[in-house]
Formats: sequence, structure tokens, C-alpha cells
Amino acid sequence: MIQDRPAPAGAPAISCRGVWQVFGVNARASLDLALGETGGDTAATARLLRQRGLIPAVQDITFDVAEGEVFVIMGLSGSGKSTLIRTIARLIDGTAGEIRIAGEDILTADARRLLALRRDKLGMVFQHFGLFPHMTVAENVAFPLKMQGMGPEQRRARALEVLELVSLKGREDSFPRQLSGGQQQRVGIARSLAVNPDLWFLDEPFSALDPLIRRQLQDEFLSIQADLGKTSVFITHDISEALKIADRIAIMRDGVLVQIGTPDDIVLNPVNDYVREFTRDVPKGRHAHVETIMTLPASLPRMPDDPGLRANMTIDSALAACMSLYQPVPVWGANGEIAGVVKPSDLASALTPDEL
Amino acid sequence: MKTAKATVLVAMAGLFATPLAAAELGAVDEPIKLAVNEWTGQHITTLIAGHMLKEAGYKVEYITAGYQNMWPAMAEGDLDAAVEVWESNVPQGYYQLRDGGRLEDLGALGLDAREGFVYPAYMEEQCPGLPDWQALAACAANFATVETLPQGRLVDYPGEWGTPGADRMAALNLPFKAIPAGSEGALVAEFKAAQSQKTPLLAVFWQPHWAITAFDLKFTKLPEGTEACYADASAGPNPDVTGDCDFLPTRVFKAAWPGLKEKWPAAHEILTNLQLSVEQQQPLMGAVDVDGRPAEQVVAEWVAANESAWRPIVDAAIR
Amino acid sequence: MFRSLSPAIRAALLTLIVGMVCMLLAPYLGWLQKWPASMTLPATEWIGAAVTWLVELIKPLARWGAWLLSYPMGWAAFILIETPYPLVIAAITALGWHLGGPGMALGVLAGLCFVLFSGYWVQGMTTLSLVMVSVPLALFAGLVTGIVAYRMPALRRPIQVMLDVMQTVPTFAYLTPLLLLLGFGPVVGLIASAIYSAPPMARNVLLGLQRVDPEIRDAALMNGANSWQQLILVELPAASRQMLVGMNQSIMAALSMVIIAAVIGGFDDIGWAVLLTMRKADFGNSLIAGMVIVVFAIMIDRLSSRLAEPRGGHSRKVIWGLLGAGAVMAVLAARWLPAASEIDIFAPLAERTNSALGQFTANHGATLNAIRNNAMIYLLLPLRIGLDHAIVPVMWGFGWTSAMALGYFGAAAALAGWLAWRGQILAALMLLTAAGVVKLGIAHLPWPFVLFAAGALGWVASGWRLALTAVTLLGLILIMGLWEPAMLSVYLSGTAVLICTVLGGAIGLLSAVSPAVWRVVRPVCDLLQTVPLFVFLIPVLMFFQIGEFSALLAICAYAIVPMIRYTHQGLSSTPEELVEAALASGANSWAIMTEVRAPYAAPTILLGLNQTILYAFSMLVIAALIGTTDLGQQVYLALGQGDVGLGVAAGAAMAMLAWVADRLVQAFAEEKRAALGL
Repeated sequence: MIQDRPAPAGAPAISCRGVWQVFGVNARASLDLALGETGGDTAATARLLRQRGLIPAVQDITFDVAEGEVFVIMGLSGSGKSTLIRTIARLIDGTAGEIRIAGEDILTADARRLLALRRDKLGMVFQHFGLFPHMTVAENVAFPLKMQGMGPEQRRARALEVLELVSLKGREDSFPRQLSGGQQQRVGIARSLAVNPDLWFLDEPFSALDPLIRRQLQDEFLSIQADLGKTSVFITHDISEALKIADRIAIMRDGVLVQIGTPDDIVLNPVNDYVREFTRDVPKGRHAHVETIMTLPASLPRMPDDPGLRANMTIDSALAACMSLYQPVPVWGANGEIAGVVKPSDLASALTPDEL
Repeated sequence: MKTAKATVLVAMAGLFATPLAAAELGAVDEPIKLAVNEWTGQHITTLIAGHMLKEAGYKVEYITAGYQNMWPAMAEGDLDAAVEVWESNVPQGYYQLRDGGRLEDLGALGLDAREGFVYPAYMEEQCPGLPDWQALAACAANFATVETLPQGRLVDYPGEWGTPGADRMAALNLPFKAIPAGSEGALVAEFKAAQSQKTPLLAVFWQPHWAITAFDLKFTKLPEGTEACYADASAGPNPDVTGDCDFLPTRVFKAAWPGLKEKWPAAHEILTNLQLSVEQQQPLMGAVDVDGRPAEQVVAEWVAANESAWRPIVDAAIR
Repeated sequence: MFRSLSPAIRAALLTLIVGMVCMLLAPYLGWLQKWPASMTLPATEWIGAAVTWLVELIKPLARWGAWLLSYPMGWAAFILIETPYPLVIAAITALGWHLGGPGMALGVLAGLCFVLFSGYWVQGMTTLSLVMVSVPLALFAGLVTGIVAYRMPALRRPIQVMLDVMQTVPTFAYLTPLLLLLGFGPVVGLIASAIYSAPPMARNVLLGLQRVDPEIRDAALMNGANSWQQLILVELPAASRQMLVGMNQSIMAALSMVIIAAVIGGFDDIGWAVLLTMRKADFGNSLIAGMVIVVFAIMIDRLSSRLAEPRGGHSRKVIWGLLGAGAVMAVLAARWLPAASEIDIFAPLAERTNSALGQFTANHGATLNAIRNNAMIYLLLPLRIGLDHAIVPVMWGFGWTSAMALGYFGAAAALAGWLAWRGQILAALMLLTAAGVVKLGIAHLPWPFVLFAAGALGWVASGWRLALTAVTLLGLILIMGLWEPAMLSVYLSGTAVLICTVLGGAIGLLSAVSPAVWRVVRPVCDLLQTVPLFVFLIPVLMFFQIGEFSALLAICAYAIVPMIRYTHQGLSSTPEELVEAALASGANSWAIMTEVRAPYAAPTILLGLNQTILYAFSMLVIAALIGTTDLGQQVYLALGQGDVGLGVAAGAAMAMLAWVADRLVQAFAEEKRAALGL
């Protein structure tokens, strides 16, 4: 089991405790039975459930998401990541466990409360956009506002405002089918933001798009995120996307959380071969900081041309700074003390992908 | 209001009533609903009856109705009368309703209908001895088709009208197999096809019907049909069975909703006395079915030209 | 040893053994071929009593509903008939303009002029008023049913069974109970046509809703829609395309019911006109009256399919212009133009059609007779009564002897042995069974064999459930005492299906290979499916006379269409990639057809076969007008005699046969599809 690090600060925006999602007949009873038989062991329980023809899509997942954090759930298809986000959004009812949103248990929320939550607090972006084909762009974006009971003029004004945010001004009266994929997903993003939700769910939002458009939208997502600072749960199967936008990443495999950590953690300290395989082709220089490869100095070198490496510099930028040097270089800590030394050749070798 | 008016009319009818079987008009504001069935002869009779009722001062509504299915409707007063009902193919349901007092038999129409085995006239050359029925035994093979071989083929009435053809053939010991026609249209199509190719054909059919003259059909002479023949096995050529003789004359009659008499007494009387003969009806049918003229027009001309045929009945009922 | 055989071979082997035992014992045990009357339940009486009781129970409510419905229909009829015809034509043309622009307006105008010139204007408008009430009723009922089925998965199966029943029980079977229930009048026809035309709508609503992208559904939920808002604002609009398909099919079904509704009467409509001309075997006029229905069908079809598309802002002025012109013409009409009922421009045409038909019959009588006789002697009679009864000296020139029987079975056994030796054990067993069936004749098959064979097929195709259902349903027919007409129905529709499969498959194949052929075949298919079939009974009767062959032809004419369509569709919709891959591997066009297109098209073609079976069964009732003795005729008899029990029982028996055949074929198609991963 993976122990989650405590969330940075404040009460967690989302808190999942021992969440199970099992598909099949009598899922709940079968799960309880299996848990009893195995004494609560996750892997054994899942195996037993599979033998009995059920599908344990999400197994005993526990994590917290902090306020304002971008939390990425990553995994291959079939790893349970989409099921997990749907369980959190309660598009499907979880089989067991506890999910709290801002402290409120939503697995037990009644239909009315759930409706209110969705109308005011939650926004979601879908992989294939989930746009209503019979509504114009503006009507699509205004739909959640209509559900809130906002009047037609107000909601159109707000829709135009959000559309501007995603650079779709002028296309408000087009129908979704008249837009390109990238534009359609901008509509999806605009719609999910229309009510200014506290929680933003994004289910593989950019997976269906061309690489170029995907990069564009990732940048846009980052800039929107920088402006609005929403608590986001972002699903993806693309490690570089995850590394690019995440504050923290959770890696799933076969319904189980394999590792949770910051992008650096994931890249530099993969817990097992599965995670390592994922990050194999990732240029580590962009994520690893100098401190992860520096050594404590036996003797402090005197450097007339000290390039001024800092411990929290990425290896990429450190290497750029001392490209022409051959001797060990001092690394400066946060308080101006020398924290260690690093050889430029180590910096270079850290950049080459792992060989297995 | 309606009742008041009716009362006035009743009173007036009472004042001017002659002793001769006159009746009150009744509810003249409400239309009398006459059933229009699927065949031309019935249309003509109905239009004539409708004209007579209108002349008497009634409103008349013609309602198309499936002959087989209309009887429960008439029992409930959704239809008021049908003026040409053939005993030969009226469904069982009619008798049940009549016996239960929910339909009224208004007596015979006077249409001297005949049923029997018909053949196109040219068959008399191919089967010498016709129209006598005994000739059929000898040339049964002429009438045969693959389905009936080695027997001859007789096209019978549609199944829901019963199987009179098969019954007669069995009783008379004739080597014919009866094939039920699916419908009247199927029978007529057989005549048309046979006529155009001059192929043999024997069918159960009836008159008055326009096809009799249009295709020059002849009736086979069967042993005389009597009540005795149908009741007593020893009567007729075959000593072992009943029904070994010609069809009994078919009764063609009028039927009505029992409430007719009370609601429109004079109309009841007119329809009861309505008479129409084959000689009167057949030319009108020809004008419609062979010449293709509208029935309304043909009947309008006829009633104008033959006032003596119907006016007395109307007058007797209302004066 | 037995256990090691595949399930299909085991089932076939057992079926063959049961068949052989039955055949050997049949001469000694009469009850094997004929279900004893003493064992027959008086089911028709019970059903009659039950239906009558039910009718009495809900009669007041039904009468009230009928009374309520008669008003809108009366209004519609009043408006359409009393409005001067130039104005009606102008208004509908204007609607055509509004929906589809000049082309549509012109088409509508031409269609309405045809109706006017045909001399059936008044009848046509009466029919239209019936359709105007029955279609919305059917659409609404279908919509509600579809939504309920979608929203309550527990009810989905029962609802689907109900829809099957509504579509397979011949309408004639429930006309009598409806008549008792609703009273006499056009409302009966209206309800009957609504019952028949609601299922396509319901099915398509359900299908459309099920096909709504789950993400769209989730999106609505996440945006805070409650379940009604989700349904009405999102799911139904998103399913609208599929729903339009259903609407379209419903309208077509309603129009096809017009004639059947006329059998009751109460309404001087176009269906009644067709019936009257039918009765006179007046092909020319019945064709014209039938074409009026076709024109309506095409018009409503095109107009309604336009409803969903965005309108291209066709000028309002034209609408007003059209209406103005109509009004002027209407004023003129009152003075100078003839009344609608007096126009009859096509009369000479009808006359000419009739004489041409007569001429053709006269000139080709011998040929037509030869066709008919050969088909009867060498195909139909052996199939129906078996070789031993069909082979008699008067027809074949020799009789059936036991030596011939020995030779026949010997040859069959030899062929089967050869097949088995080649490894085709299943084919060998089926060949032997088929040989036995032909020897006995379908109408004389022992019932235990039929029951067992149906069960075995069901078991192989899908499993115990289907096997049990098939046997139960057939067993019901048996103990209801309807076995004989039922087997005649099986023989008639089975033979028709056989012919349609071979012929329709070949035509479909040709159409798929050659677009030129398809251009000819397609309109013929359209015509066969929209013209009321009654109309074609007349020429068929004139060519081939009353009897099985004519009935068979009439059934084939209708039932062959889906086989052609689906075969063509299946063969020509193979993904281009597959064809290209085959081409790249050096396949010629024949190899592509047999190796790639045909296997890929198999499930589609099986669906076509399925439709052909259902169509063949549904035609049995209409073929009864030619003169048959099967279940279709029983339904007619019951209608004529007002025998509620017999009508419902015979109708139910037909529906059961159709249902069993349908499920068996569908199960095989499903298996095939799964194997292809479709």
C-alpha cells in the first residue's frame, strides 16, 4: 500500500479513503464477503473477486487533494483511472469507502444534495467533449447556468465571457459539429467553467486531439489554472502531459494506486519497474534538481568562475550553466551556504535515459 | 326543442293521418343511418331506399360498413338499417343477435336471388350435355387442374361464407374438388382470366350480379332444390344423403336496429314495404359496373323515371 | 464417443433419430401425425370467453376514449373535405415550400394533382384525416413506451415482447375484439392502425436513447441537470435522428394499415375504394386507388424527413402567393371548375390497364399455365404432402413404390456417407433429415419431430432458454388444435422464404456487383413495399388462378424485398480497407465476393432472412384472400363469423410461429456477428 504524503496545507478539497469500485451482481455483498475471507488484503480480495466473475475496477484507493492543487491521475487504459474520477464525481456509485469533498461525504449525499453540488461546485471536461449536438456553442456553455436557474440574458452574457476566456469569441452561434476538435474541447472547458466551480474534473481532456493542438491546450490550461487556481483532478495516459501540468501525480495500474508523488518524485524515484517503464523516455533534466545528484563535498573547491548552481535548479539549467567546465562545481543552498558539489559529467549522464 | 318539434310533427301526423297503415314520422331531425356494404347491388338498393326516406321527409346518412362486421354495430344503434342482406353469406353473428331480439328482420326485399354452379357459355361446346348437371360427371377431367387431378375443379365461395359447393358436389357424387376462393374479387378474377383464354371453369356464384352478363355465365341445371331434399335423404338422386339437389332460393331481406320502429315509425314502414326485383336492379348494376357510371347518378335517373315503383310505398307510410 | 461430438452434431443426430422413429411408427400410431381431438383444449372458446369478459370490463372506458377521438378526426375530415380543393392543394404545397423549397413544393403539387385527377380526392382526404389522428397517437404512444423502456431496464424485456406481439399478430385477428370494444366506426381503424404503427416508433426511441453518447449523458448530469431535464433537454434531442427514423417508419406502417382498417368500414376512404375495386377484380382502378396511398406515403415521408433539418429561409412571399392563388382558384372552382368528386381523368388509363392485363392473360395463358403446373407438380405438392403422395401416375406418369423409397433413401444415405467421410458430419445429418422431410411432406410431419427439431435448433443457436420457449410455443399451438393450419402456414411461408432466399439473394448479389441492376431493382423494391398488396392479388389471380401457387407468388412478391435489400446492403458495405487488402493480396473480383464480402455480409444477410420470414408470415393473411387453408384463412373465417376466440387464437398462433422463427434466425445471426467481432 502506498502511503500518501500529507496534503500541503489546509483541509483537503477531496479526500478518498479506501475507495472500492466493483462491477458485477451484488458487488457490495461480494466485496464484503471477499474482504472478510482475505482479512482485508487488497490484492487477495481483488483476485477472489475476479475468480467470482466480478470486476474490481478500483481497489482500496486512498489519497487527498489539496485546495488549488492540480492532481493528475495517470495510467494506461483499463487501469481504472476513468472509473475512479467517475466515482469521485459520483457519476457511478462507489462500492465501498469514503469520498469527501470539502469535508462532505458525497457517497451518502442524497439526490437533491448531489444536484446542488453539481450545479454550484463541480465542473467536468470529457474526453470526447460531451457537447450537446443540438445546441449552439453558447447554449452548450450556458446549459449549466440554465440548470442553476439563471435567466436567458444573464446566462448568455456569462457564456460569452467564458468563451472569451478560451479564445472562442465569435463562434458562439456555431454548432459543435462545425468546429474543429480543439475548438470543441475549448467549448467543453468553457462549459465546465461557466458556473465557476470549486472542483474541476478533467477526464483525458486532450487525448482525442492532435499533438500540436494538445500542446496548445495544455498551455492554455496552465494559464487558466494560473488565473483561477481551481482544485483540479486531471486524468491522462500521457506521462509528459502529467509531468507538465501536475502538482502531484497518482499512477494507477489494474485498479491499484502504484505511486503518488510530485513529478520529480515520479521521474527520479519510481517505486517499481512499472513506473520506471513509464518514465523511461522522460528527459530527466527537466524534472530532477541538482540536489538529487550532488555529493557532499570532501573539500570545497575554489571556483573563480563559479557558475552559481543552486540546489533546487533543474539539471537542464545547471548543465547549461556549466557546460564548459570539467571540475566539480559547488552547489549553493537556499540560505547561501554551500550545500554540495556536482561534477558536470554527472549532470550530463543524468540526462541520458535509463538503460534496463 | 327537438322533442317539442317531434311532438308537433306527431300531432300533425295524427291530424292528417289516413286510416291506411300510415305512421308517424318520428325524429326527423336525426339522420337515419343506412349501411353501405361492399357490393354494387347493395349500393343501388340502399340509394333507392335512402331516396324514398328523404322523400318522406327524413335525413339520411350513408355509412360504409363491412358486411361481415357491422351487425354488432347495428344492434347498438350505430347503424339503423341494411336493406339488402343475403342469407347465403350473412355471418352467424347476425342470427344470434336477431334471436336475442337485438336485430329486426324487416322481411324479404323481393330480390329473386339465385345461387348455383355457373360456367362460361363456351363450355357448352367443350362439355356437351351442359347445362344438365349429369354432363359434369363425364367431363370432370376437362375442368381439372394439377391441384385437383384426377378430379375436376370447382371454385367455391370464400371460406367465411361456408362451403356450399363442396357440400353439393359430395351429395351429388360428382368427381369435383372444391377450391375455396379467398374473396369475391378472386372469383371475378377467375371469370376474367377464363374468359380471356377460353379455359374451362366451374364456380359457385349468384345472381343478380353484373358478372353473369358481363362474362356470359350460365347456371347448371341441378335436380330441383326443395325443402324435402334438404330434410330427407331419400329425396333427390342420391338416396343416402340430404342436399343432393340445387341450392334453395336465397332469401334476400332487410334488417334493422329494433329501435327503428319507435324512433322513426314511418321509416320503419317504408323499409318494411321496400321491394326491388332482379329485373329492376340488374340493369342499374350493369350501368355502374360495366359502363362505369356513378351509382348516385344511375339511381337518381331511375327514381325520377320510375316514380310509380316507389312513390306509393312512401305515400302509404306518411299519409 | 457421443460426448466428444460438437453440440450441433449431437442435436442434429438426435433430431434425425427422433424423426426416423416417428416416421417408422407413424403408420401404426396415428396420433403422431394428427394430434387427437380428445386431447385438444377448447382454447379458442376460453380465449373467446376471456377476451369477451375483458372487453365488457373496459368497454365503458374504451367507448369514452373512442368518443373523444372521434372529434379530432371529424374536425380533420371536415377541414380537409369541406375546404375547396384548390385551397387544400395550395396549403400543402406551401408547406412543402416552407419545409423543402421549390423541389419539394413541386413534388407535393404533382402528388396532390395526381390524387385529384385520380377521382379519389374525397376518399383520399378522408384517409388523410385518419392518418392525421392515428399517427400522432401512435407517435406519442411509441415515444412514451420507448422512454419507459429506456428508463426502467426491468420493464425493457416485457415491453419488447409486447412490441413483438403488436407487430406479429395480424391486425385482422384483433379487429373483432376492437370492434366490440370501441363500437362501430372509423375509430376502430384508427386504433388498429395506431397499434400497428406504434412499435417502430417505440423501438427507435429506445434505440436512439441507448445510443446517446454516454459522455453527453454524464455531461448533463455534471452540469446539474435532474433526470427530467437530462431526458428532455439533452437525451431526447440528442436521439432525435433515430427518433425521426422511427417516426418515418410509423407513418409508413400507418398508411399500410389504411386498407385493413377499411375492412370494417364506417369511413368512405381510399381503403374502402381499394376494397370495392378489388371485389370487382378491377385492376386498373385498384392500382390507381393504391397509387393514391403510395403518393400520400411518399409525400408524408419526404415532408416529415425534412422536419429535422434546418430550414433554408424560403421566402414567405411564396407561401402567401400560393395561398392567394389557391383562394382565387377556390372561388373559381365554386363557379367553373368541376367538383373534386367529378374529376376522373385516369378512367381511360384504368380501362387500358385492364384490357392490357386481359390481353396478356389471353396471349400467354399456355405459358402461364405451364409455369404454374410445373411449379405445383415438381415443387409445391411434394413439399406439402410428401413424395409418396405427390408422385402419382396422373402427374408424374408413374407412382411411388417401395422400391423407389428404398432407392431414394439409399441415395440420400450414400450422399450423406460421402459427406461424412469428407468430415462434414453436420451437413450429412441435415441432408438425411431433409430427405425425410421431403418424403413425408411438411404438412404431414409428425409433431414430436417438429417440436424436437425446433428445440434442438434453439439449443444450438442460443441455449436452453430459447429451446424451451420454442417448444412451449409450438406445443401451445398443438394443444389449441391449430396444428394443421399452422403446419400449412409453415409450408406456405417456408417455401416462400426458400424461394425468396435463393432468388432474392441472387438479385441482391447482382445488384451489389452491378450498379446498373441496382438502379432497376431499387424502385421495384420501393413500389412493392408501398403499394397496398391487395392490388397485386388481381393480376396474380388472373395469371395463375386461385390456389397455392398464386398465394405463394403474392407472399414472395412482398417477402423478397428485404432479402434483396439486405443482401445488397451487406455485400456493398464491406469496409474499403478489407477490399483493398484483398486486392493487394491479388484477389480477383469473384474471390473478393466469396472470400471477403460474403463472410462479412453474412450477419446482415441473416437479418434480411429474418425480415423475410416475418414478412412472409404477415402476408399469409392477405394471401388468404386468394384462397388458402392455413392460419391466415382461419383469421379471416373468424373475422367473418365474429368468432373472437378463433381470431385471437389463430392470430396468436401465427405470431408464435413467426416469433420462434425470428428468434432462431436472430440467435444464429448474433452468433455469427459475435464471431466476426461486429
